[in-house]
Amino acid sequence: MVASRSDATTTKWLARKISLRRVPPVFMTLSLVVVGIVVFLAIFGSFLEPYDPFQQDLLDTSAPPSSAHWLGTDPLGRDILSRIIAGADAAIIGPFIVAFTGLVAGSAFGILSGYMGGTADMVIQRLVDFMFALPGLLIAIVIVGVVGGGYWLAVVVLSILNVAGGVRLIRGAALEQRALPYVEAARTLGVPRWRIMYLHIWRNISPIVFANAALDFALALVALSSLSYLGLGSQPGEAEWGRMLSENQSLLFSNPAGVLAPALAIVFFATSVTIIGDWVYDRFSYSGRTGR
Amino acid sequence: MLLVSIAAFSLTHAAPGGPIATLLENAPTSPEQIEAIKEKYKLGDPLVVQYWDWISGVVTGDFGRSILTNETVLNEITSRLWVTVTLNIAGIAIAILVGVPLGILAALRRGRFVDRALVTISVFFMSTPVFALGLFALYLFGFRAGLFPLFGPGEGVVDRIHHLALPAIVLGLAGMGFTMRLTRAAMLEQFDADYVAFARARGLGSFHVTLRYAFRNALIPVTTAAGLLFTGLLTGSVLVETVFGLPGLGTLLVSAVTGGDFTMVQGLLLFIAAWIILVNIAVDVLYVFIDPRVEFDKARG
Repeated sequence: MVASRSDATTTKWLARKISLRRVPPVFMTLSLVVVGIVVFLAIFGSFLEPYDPFQQDLLDTSAPPSSAHWLGTDPLGRDILSRIIAGADAAIIGPFIVAFTGLVAGSAFGILSGYMGGTADMVIQRLVDFMFALPGLLIAIVIVGVVGGGYWLAVVVLSILNVAGGVRLIRGAALEQRALPYVEAARTLGVPRWRIMYLHIWRNISPIVFANAALDFALALVALSSLSYLGLGSQPGEAEWGRMLSENQSLLFSNPAGVLAPALAIVFFATSVTIIGDWVYDRFSYSGRTGR
Repeated sequence: MLLVSIAAFSLTHAAPGGPIATLLENAPTSPEQIEAIKEKYKLGDPLVVQYWDWISGVVTGDFGRSILTNETVLNEITSRLWVTVTLNIAGIAIAILVGVPLGILAALRRGRFVDRALVTISVFFMSTPVFALGLFALYLFGFRAGLFPLFGPGEGVVDRIHHLALPAIVLGLAGMGFTMRLTRAAMLEQFDADYVAFARARGLGSFHVTLRYAFRNALIPVTTAAGLLFTGLLTGSVLVETVFGLPGLGTLLVSAVTGGDFTMVQGLLLFIAAWIILVNIAVDVLYVFIDPRVEFDKARG
């Protein structure tokens, strides 16, 4: 339908390639710390929560921060700090599934498309073009909303919508590899095609694959929390950062720290994962292994 | 468009319980009531017939009536259109007018402090959810500084501009990270090209080389980005409208989707699809003006 799409890939790719090469190591360290904290909270959070994150206290609703409740309580009297800690699970599991699906499916179809060419390439590319033209999150809003919501449904829908970007990026990388001497050498030696594709090429483009997965993770985190903010992702009552923002929005002017803390958690976590992804890409793809 | 219409139609009918469940709203029901509703909305007909009824109405401009408000879908959409269109156009303008110059600046100062700072800012804006940005802005500039109203669309022209300013800025900043990053990458690519080195060797001024040569070539990816940005901001405006309580298409979509208003969802989906297709055509046409080498049939791809 639109000619511009292939340019879009190139530019997106370039944008990733060029920018951030010089992110100061300070930011990298900070990012690792942030991700470390979130992972730690997701695993050991239940021991650290000062209160039960789901326990309502209708006598102590919408309380400002105090020594008992550091970030105050929400309109149902639940401790906001405990809910933020409990929300770390949802912030990791869903985005991880989305990113992992993108990694596996993106690699499989991307390399197939780039290496084999021909009909397979054409079919896959038409599908990818189509999916690219869709406004992903908008589709997710409609599907999740109409079918009835739920965190896992949102994760599945986003996983599917997310695959197209990975396929396109990895196809481009695989196309580049196909022309290199080592592939030709392997072919001459009679190495089976699937082995060339998934052992030789995949390994050489893996920095791109993992960097892309990190970016997908950050985007999925933002998308999932956006859906939850609209009341479509997680169910009422679940501790999820996006949903907390919409539940607590009425307290914005009386308890700004409590309302904005989950927003900060999303922003820091997403930014950190992006920075790490870019760093992985720079670190490994510029050691000459991909021949660029 | 046809495909979109079929997809929109099937999606709304695939919901659990179908439209009937929505219409009844869990009220206790007798079989007679269900029959009456089926009769009224012609739900008893085969799906193909229902689809035909709907699509032939759409062609003549009749999108049906909203189930929730009983207003015609077309009226609901047109009465809220201005909010979303204003937000999107202002947002795109901000994203381009701020993002592109900053991208050029970052490319000119490649690797220096200014570049690093700008890149970090763009990463920050790209990884920040629009609604989080909106809430921060609402708190800082709406509440703390008291510069902007906190809620609603306002009355009269000046008041409306005042009400829409902050949401538009938020939307624009969210897009700015993206345009800045892309412009920077596109400019760097051009700066590495031989023709730029040649132009510099001929002694042409830095300003001339940057704007007349490099930027002109960098415009193509930037235009592509603007097209993608349009669909991105459309999604963003759903969130921004929710944060700021604006009666636009975004909030309409959310309430229709959560309320199970299937005629409204169908109508909105068609409308949004038309919007996106128009933007894509506009981008293709722009290519021809920017780059005389692109011909119309080639742009069709």
